[in-house]
Amino acid sequence: MGKYGLPFVGFILLAVPPFLKDYQQIFLAEILIWGLFAAGFDLVFGYTGMLSFCQALFFGAGAYGTAYSIFFLKAGIWTSVGFSFLVGALLAFFVGYVATRMSGHYFLIITIVFSVLICLVLQSGHWRWLTGGYGGKPLPTPTVPLGFTTLSFMNELVSYYFVAFFVGLTYFLSRLIVRSQVGIVLQCIRENEMKARLIGYNIERVKLAIFVFAGGLSGLAGALYSLLIRYTNLAFFEWELSGRAVVWTLLGGAGTLIGPFVGAALFWVSSELLSTSFRSFPIIFGILLIVVVIAFPEGIVGYLKNYFRSVETNIITDR
Amino acid sequence: MIWDLLMLQAMNGLVWGLIIALIALGLSIIFGLLDIVNVAHGELFMLGAVLGWTSITVFGWVYGIFWFSLLIVPFILFVFGMGIERWVLRKIEDNASLSIVATFGLSLIFQEAVRATFGAAPKRVLPPIETTVRLFGFDYSTYRFVAAAIAAVAIAGLFLYLHKTQFGTWMRAVRQDREMATAMGIPTDKIFMVTFGVGAGLAALGGVAATPITTVEFTIGTQMLPTTFIAVIIGGLGNLLGTVAAAILVSEMVGIASVFMTPTAATVLSLVFMAVVLQVRPEGLFTRRRR
Repeated sequence: MGKYGLPFVGFILLAVPPFLKDYQQIFLAEILIWGLFAAGFDLVFGYTGMLSFCQALFFGAGAYGTAYSIFFLKAGIWTSVGFSFLVGALLAFFVGYVATRMSGHYFLIITIVFSVLICLVLQSGHWRWLTGGYGGKPLPTPTVPLGFTTLSFMNELVSYYFVAFFVGLTYFLSRLIVRSQVGIVLQCIRENEMKARLIGYNIERVKLAIFVFAGGLSGLAGALYSLLIRYTNLAFFEWELSGRAVVWTLLGGAGTLIGPFVGAALFWVSSELLSTSFRSFPIIFGILLIVVVIAFPEGIVGYLKNYFRSVETNIITDR
Repeated sequence: MIWDLLMLQAMNGLVWGLIIALIALGLSIIFGLLDIVNVAHGELFMLGAVLGWTSITVFGWVYGIFWFSLLIVPFILFVFGMGIERWVLRKIEDNASLSIVATFGLSLIFQEAVRATFGAAPKRVLPPIETTVRLFGFDYSTYRFVAAAIAAVAIAGLFLYLHKTQFGTWMRAVRQDREMATAMGIPTDKIFMVTFGVGAGLAALGGVAATPITTVEFTIGTQMLPTTFIAVIIGGLGNLLGTVAAAILVSEMVGIASVFMTPTAATVLSLVFMAVVLQVRPEGLFTRRRR
């Protein structure tokens, strides 16, 4: 993408939306949220090599965390978004404490077990005090106090920029982490866990830390999504949603920060175009997943990166 | 009164434990050989149940159709499973994560295909044997005994197959040392295909056997998955006897616990149990510790 790619994309995402129709602004905001959700998974899988199938748990926890803080704590929008990050991170700590101590396939199985069982428990309706039934109460239209003025989500552009602010913030935070010493350790664990351990890193702690941070990101995505569509639903916890994070990340390119966003965008745009003509969209989705995994295991962004890299090396060798 | 209920739940736990053991064994042999977790395994169980239900309803209650489908459905899924290994997984088998993601794609396809053709509404059939047996003071459906017996025979058959036939011995050999096995002239590719097929067939057999004692719908695969995975983990990944023992243990535990608490709380209990076992014995409850 080169040196100017990121500022260019950032500029487009900030400057273009005012000229879009209101439903397109919401659509774009949704893509950013799903990209953020998948980016959490990407930190865990793409960078650290832990295949996690429970990202939706933290998404759901974040969404319900927002609703709780608004209804019961009478929190403002800034507090409730921060609160949902903490809720997602806290749940990720409990799941991660059990799961990250185990490596490889055990980790995967444990995340699936947690994912399916917690979802079954919540949907069984026995513990209604926890979730208040299958579909939660609709949220009131959020307002954004900025100190000098107060904006309302009634204006779609406000909700878009609100989402874009948090997505941008966490994007740069993730970028900072990935490029720091910690990021190198993460990739070291992905490439060879045993070596990373022998070098002397406390890999259990590093793995748990990144898992918790990714849980927080997914929780934040859940909060933004529930604020955007103004309801919470137990379907947010379903492990099919966790699977979608996997698909978007692989489609876009695991191990790249921009990949999950590209994957989510591609998925939602094609879903909008195809779901009118195909009723059984998940089948296409599944086939697409298998084709991507077999033909482009490095994803779109990874494929392009390799392509340009090989062009560059060709030029060098030609000289 | 509570005694009767306890015995009933213990019996149910045993029946379901054996069926879960059947599914978990398939998962475990696939894991042991191909080194992947087959996320679509619950869906193979679901396909077995759906095909079993279909054969009964399409052909009607002709005498023996159920027993016939008990043979033919696992065979269909056996062939189907070999096809999956050959055409989907073979190309990416050196990358475990990608293979697992591919099996997730398969599970999506199976679920949606069944929902589109079979429908989303849960369906039931009557058991092929409608008599009951007097047992510890309550009447227990004879068919449930038969289902347990079918599962037990299949489990015994698998162990015999692995230890007494040439192909089974090959399977164990490839599992221990793939390169050496190839060097000795064992057809490794064929072994992989058959292993996946056998795993799929076992899950399907469990599905057909469970058809008369459960509601058949496209989500039962996912409902079955956690208990199966817990059994595989507690038993120790790749430890077949341990897996059988763990499947029965977990199923009994959830069954008996649900006498005293809501099914939801019993589910949470099994989750906590798994977490505790992993903290205390991460290599599995029934695996001997390596010195």
